[in-house]
Amino acid sequence: MNMALLRNMAKVHGKTLASYISATVLYELLIIWVYPSIANSPQLNDLLTSMPAGLMKALGVEGGIQKYNDYLSAQFYGTLFVVILMVYCIMTSVQAIARLVDRGSMAYLLSTPVSRSKVAVTQAIVLVFGLFAFSICTTIGGLLGAQFLIDAPAYDKGLFVQVNLIVFLLFTFIASYCFLISCLCDDEKRALSWSSSLTVLFYSLDLVGKMSSNLTWMRYLSPFYLFRPQDIVKGTFPVGWVSLGLGIGALLIFWLSVSVFRRRDLPL
Amino acid sequence: MSHMIEISGLTKAFASGKGIFDLNLTVREGEVFGYLGPNGAGKSTTIRHLMGYMKPDRGSSRIAGKDCWNQAPAIHSRVGYLPGEIAFMEGIDGLEFLNLMSGMRGMKDNKRRDDLIERFQFDIKTPIRKMSKGMKQKVGIVAAFMHDPDILILDEPTSGLDPLMQRLFIDLILEEKARGKTVLMSSHIFQEVDRTCDRVAILKEGRLMAEKNVADLVLVQRRLFDVVLASEEAAAALSRSGLEVSKCEGVRVRIAVQGDYNLFLRELSQYDVLSLDVHELDLEEIFMHYYDREETL
Repeated sequence: MNMALLRNMAKVHGKTLASYISATVLYELLIIWVYPSIANSPQLNDLLTSMPAGLMKALGVEGGIQKYNDYLSAQFYGTLFVVILMVYCIMTSVQAIARLVDRGSMAYLLSTPVSRSKVAVTQAIVLVFGLFAFSICTTIGGLLGAQFLIDAPAYDKGLFVQVNLIVFLLFTFIASYCFLISCLCDDEKRALSWSSSLTVLFYSLDLVGKMSSNLTWMRYLSPFYLFRPQDIVKGTFPVGWVSLGLGIGALLIFWLSVSVFRRRDLPL
Repeated sequence: MSHMIEISGLTKAFASGKGIFDLNLTVREGEVFGYLGPNGAGKSTTIRHLMGYMKPDRGSSRIAGKDCWNQAPAIHSRVGYLPGEIAFMEGIDGLEFLNLMSGMRGMKDNKRRDDLIERFQFDIKTPIRKMSKGMKQKVGIVAAFMHDPDILILDEPTSGLDPLMQRLFIDLILEEKARGKTVLMSSHIFQEVDRTCDRVAILKEGRLMAEKNVADLVLVQRRLFDVVLASEEAAAALSRSGLEVSKCEGVRVRIAVQGDYNLFLRELSQYDVLSLDVHELDLEEIFMHYYDREETL
């Protein structure tokens, strides 16, 4: 890792990251803020439970949404938040390597005594650190929001933190393969289209697999299968093992990315 | 004198059929070496190998005894590099960029950097996306020279600079040369090669055509002079004088001179000359001509 590069990248990505995060936390607080009115509306819950099981699964509301944990995992972690993180992973990983190679500015970074491995590791750290900041902020936002924004309902703070941990690790994993693609591509646009196609494909496989019981096998092809906030809340999810798996998987792919970047020809 | 840059049997073939083929070159310590050739000849590809951005298919390149592909970081601590295409990171200004570079180089002292900024006169606080091409080139030059490297690798260093700045740059190269630095630069501008380089290599389609002392190159170089005489009769007489005349329009005569300037001057001194202009050829024209000659020989 190189500190000068890290500082520079933190500065360049910092502003974008801060706006992503503040919008997300604001959205989270809004969702929390409307919770009491939803929880106090049995009609809405009846409506939800009357839906076909597949649709409920796809929407992530199979556990109902009246309990605070269920509600948050369905309304926040099951929806827009995932999309925002997907966008962040894809954009930032493309910018980390492929854009610098495509536009030629990598030539400057690599004309210094800092090795290619160090440059790539630094960029990967910037990427993962951004995800970490995301998770910390939404975790704190959720905890504080429940405390101060609404009459705190009884909910399991431990499970809430576990949901956030899995989110962080899942997206670190997604970031790792986007980063690998970024390390392989000379062309920024190609890196962008490959990593977004793959991620959208994974997301759709999970979505379709949730909706139809005949197509459940599709879910197993997607890393999004490992993100089931409703199961975490129910306590039937092997959080420890999945965390370990995602963490090791991401590390391996990052390692592979760095070694690919170290050995390849660069058109600088 | 030891060899600072050594390229031996360097080969890299691209799918397009272009590339560099069995290149052998040496640059001695303290030498300023010009690397010339038309666009697409393989100049930048060679430089990319020297910087360790590309792995050779065959052969090797070494700088200060170290392999350019395997030991790039160690080499880079002694090298200043100016890429042919200037593309800085976005979202930062010139100063932040230079700070990033000096940070990555582990530099403590910014005196030389500030001297260079003073010399090339530009506002380092300008955001990079608002910089003109010439200004980016200046920032690039400062980044290449600020850590006082022993070896400079410069890819078309004066492109985008105005004539005044080109002269400043030539002075800078001459100073570095006097301080014993080794320079390899690719160029299109004959003046800067003529004034700075000791030797040149000429590349065509990825193969080395010639390696020459600049003094010898000047001999084979053809220059065109536009001479304006007092009368058309005189112009007609000059055209018949045995000099190589490429054009004669009224009182204006264009004469090609190659090597023998004395004959040209002796002939010319017999006439009433109103004006004398050197018709500048760019390097490519000169070397196209040079290639043709080589081929017919």
